Amino acid sequence: MSAPSGKAFVLRHETVLLFVVVAEWCCFNALGPRFGTLDNSFDILRHTVEIGLLALAMTPVILTGGIDLSVGSLLGLCAILFGKLWRDAGLPPEVAAGCTLIFGALAGGLNAALITALRLPPLIVTLGTYSLFRGLAEAITRGADTFTNFPPSFLFLGQERWLGLPTQAWLFLVVAAGIWVLVHRMTYGRTYRAIGFAPEGARFAGVPVQGRIAGVYVLAGLVAALAAIIYTARLGQAKADAGTGYELFAITAVVLGGTSIFGGIGSVHGTLLGVAAIAILNNGLVHARQPREVAGMLTGALLLLALSSSVLPKLFAAWRRPPPAPVRSTPSPPT
Amino acid sequence: MNRYFRELSVAAALVLVLASLAVLAPGFYQAQPLLSLATREAPALVVACGMAVVIICRQIDISVGSQFAVVTVCAGLLAAERWPAPLVALAAVGLGAGLGAINGALVAGLRLPSIVVTLATMVTWREALRWQRQGAFVNLPDSLQWLGLPQAAGQWVLIALALVVLVTLALGLRQLAAGRFVYAVGSDAEAARLAGIRPARVTFSSFVLLGALTGLAAMMNVVQSPQVDPKSGTGLELKTIAAVVVGGVAISGGRGSLWGVFAGLLLLACIAPALTHLRIEPYWEKAIQGAIILLAVVADGVRSRKGRS
Amino acid sequence: MKKWSLLLTAVALFVAGCGKSPESPASGSGAGPAGKKITVALLPKSKGNAYFISCKAGAEKAARALGIDLLFDGPTESDPAKQNEIVENWITLGVDVIAAACENREGISTALRKAQSRGIKVITYDADALPDARTFFVNQATPEGIGHGLMDEAARLLNAEGEFAIILATLTAANQQEWRKHIEARLAEKYPKMKLVAVRPCDDLKDKAQSEATALLSAHPNLKLLMNICSPAVPGAAEAVKQAGKAGQVKVIGLGLPSENRRYVKEGVTDSVILWKTEDLGYLTVEAAVALVKGTLKPGDKTFKAGALGEFEIKGDNILLGKPFVFNKDNIDQFNF
Repeated sequence: MSAPSGKAFVLRHETVLLFVVVAEWCCFNALGPRFGTLDNSFDILRHTVEIGLLALAMTPVILTGGIDLSVGSLLGLCAILFGKLWRDAGLPPEVAAGCTLIFGALAGGLNAALITALRLPPLIVTLGTYSLFRGLAEAITRGADTFTNFPPSFLFLGQERWLGLPTQAWLFLVVAAGIWVLVHRMTYGRTYRAIGFAPEGARFAGVPVQGRIAGVYVLAGLVAALAAIIYTARLGQAKADAGTGYELFAITAVVLGGTSIFGGIGSVHGTLLGVAAIAILNNGLVHARQPREVAGMLTGALLLLALSSSVLPKLFAAWRRPPPAPVRSTPSPPT
Repeated sequence: MNRYFRELSVAAALVLVLASLAVLAPGFYQAQPLLSLATREAPALVVACGMAVVIICRQIDISVGSQFAVVTVCAGLLAAERWPAPLVALAAVGLGAGLGAINGALVAGLRLPSIVVTLATMVTWREALRWQRQGAFVNLPDSLQWLGLPQAAGQWVLIALALVVLVTLALGLRQLAAGRFVYAVGSDAEAARLAGIRPARVTFSSFVLLGALTGLAAMMNVVQSPQVDPKSGTGLELKTIAAVVVGGVAISGGRGSLWGVFAGLLLLACIAPALTHLRIEPYWEKAIQGAIILLAVVADGVRSRKGRS
Repeated sequence: MKKWSLLLTAVALFVAGCGKSPESPASGSGAGPAGKKITVALLPKSKGNAYFISCKAGAEKAARALGIDLLFDGPTESDPAKQNEIVENWITLGVDVIAAACENREGISTALRKAQSRGIKVITYDADALPDARTFFVNQATPEGIGHGLMDEAARLLNAEGEFAIILATLTAANQQEWRKHIEARLAEKYPKMKLVAVRPCDDLKDKAQSEATALLSAHPNLKLLMNICSPAVPGAAEAVKQAGKAGQVKVIGLGLPSENRRYVKEGVTDSVILWKTEDLGYLTVEAAVALVKGTLKPGDKTFKAGALGEFEIKGDNILLGKPFVFNKDNIDQFNF
């Protein structure tokens, strides 16, 4: 990407969002005396890692024009599986975690197979697996079985600090850097945006479109499994309802970060900013002594504002100078 | 045959479920419980019809559950203020249409993606309602239940109302120019525009229609019991979208019919009571639901792949 | 260049925001050991739930009487991790005492122990955490007491004979599982002629409870009683029984608020609703929390005097609210929560 000029940089979605994040931070810092402390920053980090991971994994999926509604349910299923392997199969936590990661990739592979081999719409496939994965988690545990009393060496991953940061933050940073390099610096990952922008065009340009699409769903499954392990370590328990509703938070963060839900446009650092904006809002409102409902309402409003901010200037310009050519018609939905 | 393959295959699946129930659990077929089941599902059918129109128009609305809850509570509060029932119904439909118009304006007017717009409105309405009402039930006057009719009559009225909505919309989509416009915009908005249709207007109208139908459905739910739960409508969006998709409406727009949606909703509505009758443990329910959705789309995918090769 | 100057501005704003002076301490009658107003943080299992709204009303009364700050917040989502996040936020916020109703015993204990290690007092109410994660538990009724109470009430209504079914909130909710376990234990131990034929979840929704109850009534023609162990299910099941025309033939009992069930109890559809005085639970919890901070309530005490409510017995580390009430046709009009 060429170096942007000053004006283009200011108008870039990511820059606007950066200012929103900073403004949020300043505002809550003024409202809550303890908000700006290091402890609280670590709280925010720890509470955000799982949703942040899911949002990171969701970014390539949405860049290719797809969507994955099943990540939250898969998190629950992986947490259960991890607990089962550790407690009932007697595996050490590291081995159980490894198996869980493999299972997550396989479950993502199920989505990938249905979407690419049968050319089914991702929204519908993952709506099905959303129910299926959660249902399996409930069926395996009969809803009630809870896995707990994990060894401290494992809980260290979710509750302690390592080299100054919460342990899981290091994992998050590694995954974030990895996905950023994949999407923005590798030829392999750059094709995601090409696919999302014009799948046919990408195919004619010699990109193995179906293979690349399959890859992003497998990656999403793998990362969801990692999030499940971190979640289990943070809470010290695994139960069938883990991660309920996380898919919506992840999608919200990705879209807030400037990724187009139709694919083709977006960035990983935008997603990170989107995650930060939501996380700071949720945490800051507690410090400003506002009820949690307000956080939900403001997240919705922020999402609408972010969306329309990219459209309103164009509409305004169109209104000032009616264009001779018709504007592009209604965009296609996410399929 | 081929044109209605999808509708027929869903209907066949439904018949299969009903037939196996007849053999394994004949207790399922009793007049009063079936009537109750149908009445309970009537509001969902009305919403599913509106959802089908929006999806045929190549959009989606995941805020219907929150709209349903907002209208339910508002209608309940008006009824508790002793407003007459027809006026409450009118207000419910109007409020629903208003909420739909907000989605429609953002999607059609500002050209924002519908899935994200309605994700935002879903969260906003649900949380605003919780903030305002704190989850308290609304007690209704006795005269509102079944609109003052005897119970069975009231139940038949609600079922008939849902069927009237279904038939009117199904015929309207096929026969009326406005209905054909929806298919035209859903298959190719640009071509529709060149043919003289205004895609933005059609899209806006489909959201308003869905909102109004959601309002009507909320009213149909309010008159079924003497108190209103502000959490009602939770999960309605998933249920109706699943019914629409299982019923053969293409999520990419422009294809599908309401008859398939009807069959799809009946199929999904039967699952929970069927599991109870078959004495299957409840923790299998979600997995079975997911498997049915996947089977429906996989069958379609396999068939269309065969068609291509 | 412009790019960097913008970034610098952002950083400058950020730093300016950080350098804010701390709030001046407020003074009041509820001054704690440090001389500032005591802050009590009350955590419900979930928000938008009439049961906890009633607890909150009592807690607010106590907060006014004691002149303390009351924070009331809880998860709006069904995600079990949210309670932990709120507790950890409160730790950083620097509240004096946390009173928690625990959704997940093991999960929340992690966060509560952390609060204790930072010098914040912790008590639990409604549903307990692990004993080492809190000082006292304000015990409205033990899971055993609730389970046995419901089962005994069912047996009384059915003369210890016949089929019954349970409707609960969700399969994963910890307290529901606990109650179910004790109900089944009591059943096996004392009532051999009664049979539990089905357990169905209603997702804490009245509408779904009604649908489930309708299906149960037709699937089990010999069903004699519906036992509902989450509050929206009681009116939902009652409406189903009423619509099926089986009022009186199929009994309805459960845990619920009198206000939501008054109509059905009076009509004779619902036979009895069991609950403790939720407002008193909130009041007592706040009183105990404040006393713990002030040092007037210590481990080992045998009684505790809670302002306007009078004296309560302490058994071990449980402050006992007293026996649950059974609301029925005769007494339900005396209660308005």
